[in-house]
Amino acid sequence: MLDHGMKDGETLDYHALNAMLNLYDENGHIRFEADRMAARQYFLQHVNQNTVFFHSLDEKLRYLVEEGYYEAEVLSQYPREFLTQIWDAAYAAKFRFPTFLGAFKYYTSYTLKTRDGQRYLERFEDRVVMVSLALARGNQEHAMAFMREIIAGRFQPATPTFLNAGKKSRGELISCFLLRLEDNMESIGRGINSALQLSKRGGGVALMLTNIREHGAPIKGIENQSSGVIPVMKLLEDSFSYANQLGARQGAGAVYLNAHHPDILRFLDTKRENADEKIRIKTLSLGVVIPDITFELAKKNEDMYLFSPHDIEKVYGVPFSEISVTEKYDEMVDDKRIRKKKINAREFFQTLAEIQFESGYPYIMFEDTVNKANPIDGRITMSNLCSEILQVNEASKFNDDLSYDHLGTDISCNLGSLNIAKTMDSPDFGATVETAVRALTAVSEMSAIDSVPSIRRGNDEAHAIGLGQMNLHGFLARERVHYGSAEGVDFTSVYFAAITYHAIRASNQISIEKGETFVGFDKSTYATGEFFDKYTDRDWLPETEEIQALFDRMNVTLPTRDDWAALKKSVMEHGLYNRNLQAVPPTGSISYINNSTSSIHPIVSKVEIRKEGKIGRVYYPAAFMSNDNLEYYRDAYEIGPEALIDTYAAATEHVDQGLSLTLFFPAEATTRDINRAQIYAWKKGIKTIYYVRLRQSSLEGTEVQGCVSCTL
Amino acid sequence: MKDLTTSIPRAINWNRLQDEKDLEVWNRLTVNFWLPEKVPLSNDIPSWGTLRPEERELTIRVFTGLTLLDTIQNAVGAPAMLPDAQTPHEEAVLTNIAFMEAVHARSYSSIFSTLCSTKEVDEAFRWSEENPHLQAKARLILQEYNTDADPLKRKIASVFLESFLFYSGFYLPMYWSSRAKLTNTADLIRLIIRDEAVHGYYIGYKFQRALETATEERRQELKDFAFALMFDLYEIESKYAEELYDDIGLTEDVKAFLHYNANKALQNLGFEALFPPAACEVNPAILAALSTDSENHDFFSGSGSSYVIGKAVATEDEDWDF
Repeated sequence: MLDHGMKDGETLDYHALNAMLNLYDENGHIRFEADRMAARQYFLQHVNQNTVFFHSLDEKLRYLVEEGYYEAEVLSQYPREFLTQIWDAAYAAKFRFPTFLGAFKYYTSYTLKTRDGQRYLERFEDRVVMVSLALARGNQEHAMAFMREIIAGRFQPATPTFLNAGKKSRGELISCFLLRLEDNMESIGRGINSALQLSKRGGGVALMLTNIREHGAPIKGIENQSSGVIPVMKLLEDSFSYANQLGARQGAGAVYLNAHHPDILRFLDTKRENADEKIRIKTLSLGVVIPDITFELAKKNEDMYLFSPHDIEKVYGVPFSEISVTEKYDEMVDDKRIRKKKINAREFFQTLAEIQFESGYPYIMFEDTVNKANPIDGRITMSNLCSEILQVNEASKFNDDLSYDHLGTDISCNLGSLNIAKTMDSPDFGATVETAVRALTAVSEMSAIDSVPSIRRGNDEAHAIGLGQMNLHGFLARERVHYGSAEGVDFTSVYFAAITYHAIRASNQISIEKGETFVGFDKSTYATGEFFDKYTDRDWLPETEEIQALFDRMNVTLPTRDDWAALKKSVMEHGLYNRNLQAVPPTGSISYINNSTSSIHPIVSKVEIRKEGKIGRVYYPAAFMSNDNLEYYRDAYEIGPEALIDTYAAATEHVDQGLSLTLFFPAEATTRDINRAQIYAWKKGIKTIYYVRLRQSSLEGTEVQGCVSCTL
Repeated sequence: MKDLTTSIPRAINWNRLQDEKDLEVWNRLTVNFWLPEKVPLSNDIPSWGTLRPEERELTIRVFTGLTLLDTIQNAVGAPAMLPDAQTPHEEAVLTNIAFMEAVHARSYSSIFSTLCSTKEVDEAFRWSEENPHLQAKARLILQEYNTDADPLKRKIASVFLESFLFYSGFYLPMYWSSRAKLTNTADLIRLIIRDEAVHGYYIGYKFQRALETATEERRQELKDFAFALMFDLYEIESKYAEELYDDIGLTEDVKAFLHYNANKALQNLGFEALFPPAACEVNPAILAALSTDSENHDFFSGSGSSYVIGKAVATEDEDWDF
């Protein structure tokens, strides 16, 4: 009934052209050309007219340094000739944004602008070079290597690094922070202050609430005094909305609570559609830590006991988070000194799913799975805002004036992701991984967050990094492999094993160069060699002919058992520099700039509708998709939870930290479907679950006609 | 079922349906239940500050216009159709519709209290009481909602209100959101659109069912009435749109959108389109912005419009087989 003809395409504005991507043409084809035209018009109508022009590189750099836009110290580490050389090489790569959203997102959110925000001072190439120069800290060889990996799209630093590096007034380079809260006012007060400080500098912050005493617990021996975790959550929610990074990024936070904490149902109810304003939590993200025992109890359809953190600490002398509920469950049930109440375990899981239906929350961390797979000495008690960071931490103790009696460690993580398709195309697969590990290590070495000493200590001792991956679906589709098929899972397993090998090799290399390992290396299973058993006892090579042929065709050499044995020997001898190496984040913004599909997820739609505060509603085509290969772009709702979980399980096997795994359901699904997927995920060794997302198809007769993203 | 005092009072039995559509729509409406508090409107405050004063005034006016329509539909429209209901389940659906219209009217006030000053809002409400075009269309619809009016004509008026009259107002938040402005407000409006689409569709469906048993003459009468009313409303809408949108130069675009929705409203009643496709070339950015499904939002700055109240089903032993 509507004619969405392309006539007058030249005069349409770029938003309208981009939106045509979401409307089929008269022959039922997706209009990729409209989006390319949108990207082109965006430059012609907007970017080029609003970019400050300089006659030469010298003039530009002098201006940007004198005006206080660039950090002079970054540039002065290099001779002038080298600067010319690296800039020339970057421009010679002839980078172009293939999609409108990529270009729009870059210019809206990343590039350096004049102080009034009206004119652009950088092109994409300038940003890439400045990031490379800043991270290489004077090492020309590294600077050139970083630049080549980023401009070729193989490696993409996470938003805080890519946005901030090289700029004079800037936030931190680190993405993500995790803080413990203990059961006393000093720790809570300090935690809120730390949340404000970190949020101001532009990171996502997660806090663990498991140790805070429950609603109605005694204070100083007087019964019914504590108000539990909800008021702490309210304080945090308001803190995060107050602190944002000069308005550049909304402050964002998450809180984690153990499933066996007595406030667990109140905690979940804060996200109910009809929750009272006094307890409703709108923008804070929630996560629940679930031990194996909860599944066992649900299997037997028994009640699950919830234990008072206050009493646990009195009885065991350590906070709730430091004990394994699975291990101590029966003991605590029988211990009169520990106050407890009970709820039905299956009903708990059902409530969890109900809340996920209404809000997408909570995230889930499978506590015992995570700790069994942890190569580092210590306990993992929480995850972060995107549920991919899994590291050990240590409690701090405070004096009355909030100074530290004992400085513990909190967690930070520098992220960056490889584009799987481009990495597979790389002339040297191993070198690409090594360069990425070096770039991320540089971020850790350059960061010293003095406003939160426990974070600073954690980073100084651990040099933890999180190398992520994106564009799995795009790559598989380009190579005509179905996401979630036996071949797709086979590729994922082999690819991640190879990445792990090279990441460990790189960290070992850095350790040799510096003569230094992370603190606690000697207590890790890397030092004992145990970690390597699964790589020396069996092969991690393709099991299907198709994937074997794929690696052969693309000339990627895979590590053999002998390679692993040699690496084991070197690691046991020289150690590792980074305590943690991999974490697979959800990659929102950077995958648009990098022209990738997000993370290792399946696509959410052939044409994705992306909505964010700063960019509004924009349409994005899946990477490498054309009207000829649409069959390989089945979306997450069509693929279903099992194939997705199988793919993630194959990758989880090799990733030392976590992977943000979102589950996708049609709105017609029930809480039982969600519960079954959670059980399946737990059974398959998945470590964390991120959002639950729903898609509601329009009632027949009310849909927008000819719309690509609408379900048919 | 009309009068509980003269006939036998009967309890509603959802297990005995006269019309399957009642249950289908009931289910859809209940899972779609929402309250404005779930949308973090305050995230739009910085964006609101970037609008020019005349753009802000326009936005407030558009929303007061929408509030008026929702108020009419809540207080008069949906209740007026109750006595015409053919099944007890239809009555239940209509009361749900009435309630959600009250939620919609309420949510504009949430937008106002978050973004604007009391003075600005009071002025806009005064404007809505004095604007001749807004008042004219409200009166035209209210006339058909009158208790002595023809029940089927009442349905026609209702469908026009739900599927046509709202859209001159909906255009603006969709336009802003395509320009990265007021995106959370747009989320809230999309929730309203999601509801109105179902309301218009359902009442249109009931109209078509009633038409099945009508005589040819009666059908012709209703069709003539529908097109005549559409012409009248369209004329008022055009003037209303001109008055609102001329200053920022969007009137032509808004009109194309009106044509598109007028056709949709007629389609809901089972009638053919009035405007030719060429007159309905809606700006793709607006049209694409209407689809509420499968949006991939960043959770930290918005809540999205695709979450629903789920169906709770207990797990069975077989699910826990590990």
